[in-house]
Amino acid sequence: MADVLVLGAVNSAVYAMLALGFTLIFGVGRVVNLAHGTFYAIGVYVAYTLVAVTRLPLLAGAAAAVLAAAAVGIGLERLLIQPVRRWTFAVLIATVVFALLTQEIIYAFYGYTSRNIPSFTTQTLSILGVTVAGQRAITFAVAVLAIAVVWILIYRTRFGSAVLAVAQDREAAVYLGIDADGVSRTVMALSAGLAAAAGVLVAPVLVVSPQMWTLPLVKSFAIVILGGLGSIPGSLAASVLLAYTETAVSRFAGSAFSDLVPLVVILFTLLLRPSGLLGQTVEP
Amino acid sequence: MKPAETATAIAGVSAGAPHRTASAGADRQNAGQRAAGWAAGAVILVGLSVVPAFARNGYTLSVFTQAALYAAMAAGWDVLSGYTGRENFGYALFVGTGAYTAALLDARLHLPLPAGIAAAGGASVLAAALAGVPALRLRGPYFALATLAAAGIMERFTLILWPVTGGEDGIYEITPLSLSGTVTYEATLVFMAVVVLGLYTATRSPWGMVLRAIRASETACEASGLNTTTYKIGALLLSALTAGVAGGLYAHVQEHVGPAVYSVEFSVTVIIMAFVGGVGTIWGAAAGGFLLTLLGESLRSLGPYRLLLYSAILLPVIIASPRGIVAPVLDWLKERQR
Amino acid sequence: MRQRVIVLVVAVVVALGTAGVGPSRLGAQAGPLTVGAPGPMQLPVGQGINYGLQLAAGEINSAGGILGRKVTVVPEDEAETPEVGLAAMRKLLDSDKVDVLIGGQTSGVVLAQLPQIARAKTIYLGVGAAAPQITAQVQKEYERYKYIFRVSPVNSTYLGYGLADFVDEFVRPKLNVTKVAIIGENLVWVQGVLPAMERRLAEKQGISVVYKELFDIRTTDFSPIFAKIRAAGAQFVVPLMSHASSDVVVKAYASLKVPIPWGGIDVKGQEADSCDKLDGASVGETVLFGSPPIRVAITPRTIPFIDKYTERFKRPPVYTSFGAYDALYIYKAAAERAGTFDAEKVIPALEKTDYKGASGRVVFDEAHDVRYGPSYAFETMVQWQTGCKRALIWPARLATGGYVPLPWLR
Repeated sequence: MADVLVLGAVNSAVYAMLALGFTLIFGVGRVVNLAHGTFYAIGVYVAYTLVAVTRLPLLAGAAAAVLAAAAVGIGLERLLIQPVRRWTFAVLIATVVFALLTQEIIYAFYGYTSRNIPSFTTQTLSILGVTVAGQRAITFAVAVLAIAVVWILIYRTRFGSAVLAVAQDREAAVYLGIDADGVSRTVMALSAGLAAAAGVLVAPVLVVSPQMWTLPLVKSFAIVILGGLGSIPGSLAASVLLAYTETAVSRFAGSAFSDLVPLVVILFTLLLRPSGLLGQTVEP
Repeated sequence: MKPAETATAIAGVSAGAPHRTASAGADRQNAGQRAAGWAAGAVILVGLSVVPAFARNGYTLSVFTQAALYAAMAAGWDVLSGYTGRENFGYALFVGTGAYTAALLDARLHLPLPAGIAAAGGASVLAAALAGVPALRLRGPYFALATLAAAGIMERFTLILWPVTGGEDGIYEITPLSLSGTVTYEATLVFMAVVVLGLYTATRSPWGMVLRAIRASETACEASGLNTTTYKIGALLLSALTAGVAGGLYAHVQEHVGPAVYSVEFSVTVIIMAFVGGVGTIWGAAAGGFLLTLLGESLRSLGPYRLLLYSAILLPVIIASPRGIVAPVLDWLKERQR
Repeated sequence: MRQRVIVLVVAVVVALGTAGVGPSRLGAQAGPLTVGAPGPMQLPVGQGINYGLQLAAGEINSAGGILGRKVTVVPEDEAETPEVGLAAMRKLLDSDKVDVLIGGQTSGVVLAQLPQIARAKTIYLGVGAAAPQITAQVQKEYERYKYIFRVSPVNSTYLGYGLADFVDEFVRPKLNVTKVAIIGENLVWVQGVLPAMERRLAEKQGISVVYKELFDIRTTDFSPIFAKIRAAGAQFVVPLMSHASSDVVVKAYASLKVPIPWGGIDVKGQEADSCDKLDGASVGETVLFGSPPIRVAITPRTIPFIDKYTERFKRPPVYTSFGAYDALYIYKAAAERAGTFDAEKVIPALEKTDYKGASGRVVFDEAHDVRYGPSYAFETMVQWQTGCKRALIWPARLATGGYVPLPWLR
């Protein structure tokens, strides 16, 4: 039971990192970014390349990976999303093709052999009598920190107010002189950076493969839909909910079933309560 | 007003819709151009049917067979997603259900092939009724996500129910459609022709008119008293039927069915094909499916770089022409000729 | 816009034109002998097939070829998935029209390919896939599937027996173990190993399987499984892994410092640099080998093969390399005995094979499956030790080192 508690906490934090960026992008631009998982993968592969191939120290490699992902995010927003923002379908297609393109680029350079990223530490801790890999503990700490920083950014700064304004009513914000496109770009960069950071933190214990963008994408969807697209508190609450449900299901029914959880969450939330737990009543 | 007239009015009035409204204009029209279109279609069909005489080997023929299947699948996707504003991102759900149904009935219960394929279509329609119909209330990205999730759930179930479905390894030992590559090809071609013809006619009928009006403005339709739900369900079930039968054929052509048939990649592949060909035209989607399959195969010599090139080309094209390629281009040419 | 139409037309023309392109092979008796080599060419086990064949082909060609024909190897990537594997096989059979097939690694892929191979009446010598179902077809429908042979590895049943023997002969006395846990990927080859291992252990008496689980290869979190293993009181863990997820298992096992010795089948763990790539997480794990990873003379051909291979390809051979190398020589011997390349006549000759290859002695049973036993093909257990060095620890007559406990249990 204790292992469920501890592991669930770590996963909640990671999921929150992933979901936060996703919900911000949607709130700010009504954009469903199917390439969100790609930032996660980019973070991992860039970190892998810098650390394993060019032998950069782990921390520097991780930081560089986050920045790289943020840059790609800005590029994506500027070149692919902005021109077709009006057409939801085109945005869906453009982002998913971008995700596939990135997958293929990774595949072309790295093949489908799996890669390995070293952990930040090989120590283990004992929390509540549960052996916890040091890597997971660090993950939790960094994730919580990142979320706190984002929270402060959104709710306590000028920039944050601009973000909230654009999220509430993009056109009105533009009339007020806010550079909505600029806000979108910055939010995308933030979102990409968070996703990449999540990837780098979690990758040491996972399989690294070109297809690794699909899983974080599904989880992000599940969380933001459950919590309500565009709602930050909703995303945080849903992260915790999803993480614990998955961990519990995995512990008691096996991981084959725990992978079902996010998918079932998406489907049933959309069918029964499309606005989610705490979302603004979005036109479904 | 009759539903068809209402629909025409709504579709015609609505401007700036996210999909092609030029098709509404194309309807008010020019019989000469349509006759030319039919003639072109007939010529292409005849041309395709004699491919076996020129194909260098069985491998090439199998590629053409795949192309015909994908063309039919893309057309099936289009009838729902290109016409009602409900973009289905989980089309694999329907194809996969059809494929697994046919595979299981054949490999495990040894039912005759036609029965299996018919059951495949039925199973897919059932899946649509259970998962698709409730989702029809949703629009745009929400419908897309719901369908995506539904397909993903089925993919998971093929792994959870591994004693029945063969899990990751899938089902093999499926009876081939025919031991002759030519017969298999011609049969698939006939299927493709029936699908494209049937769906095209349906969408050019008064019923199809209403679908287009729903895409243009669902609220207006409802306001004028049209029961949009009935029409949407019709399109959904038609789409599922096509996909189910295509999936059944797929099982007997490939002689193997695995979880990949429920995958996101599969759904997205079909969507891209329909998109490149022209969403909302039926024949455009089919053309996209056919051509992209051939193109994908001819790039095979590039090995790992093949899909890279494919998606790299696709991306700027999507941005430049967010409404598709083949059909909008041809329409633009038609406009130019006036 | 117009440019786009032109591009599209060009694409159509190119597509139609090149879709028909492909070397169209001449008939069976003229020109070079083409050997189709299907396998996961991006993975070391797949490359191993290609390299093993290249080495054998080079030697055979400089000695005059097979019945006067030179050998050409045509590799084709299967990517470990049936969809890609089916297309690869179609290309080899229908487009390249190869004369014989040597390769295969993933059982699920091979099983999906069998009907095509049978229809093409082309001899197939399997070198990497272990599922018994592959050769079971030979006995069930001989006329249809007689073209299928397996040179390596020994099939899942024998793998299971080998593992049980290892646990009984080595683990039980050495580590005082009476309770084992078996965990494996949910794939067809594993589904054959587990029951066989349980059967053999039951015969041995004194060892009980206290936990067993088949996991999805897409699993990312193994801590629940490890927790359940510990709760069951297992004293030794036997993994059965061949896919990429095995990296995750090894890393998780080490990072959680699971206090139970372990080892079994880990195909990725067979690669010479796998321990280094995982930063030493494999240390302590015992890995099953059919063909030796260390210079041990199983037969007089073993060491020369290992040396030549390592020198030419700058890396040691993997199990499929041994199998592919031996398979080509076995085919050569059979064709020469039959005096022809006609499959109908070569097959009876193949059935009489008794060949001392680099991996061991190859003799086929009635199902065209390689025989298992101390004087035929057998298994050895190798352990990753400190500094990512390897030592063969079982069977005792071939051992090069002793067992080393897990680093965190010292």
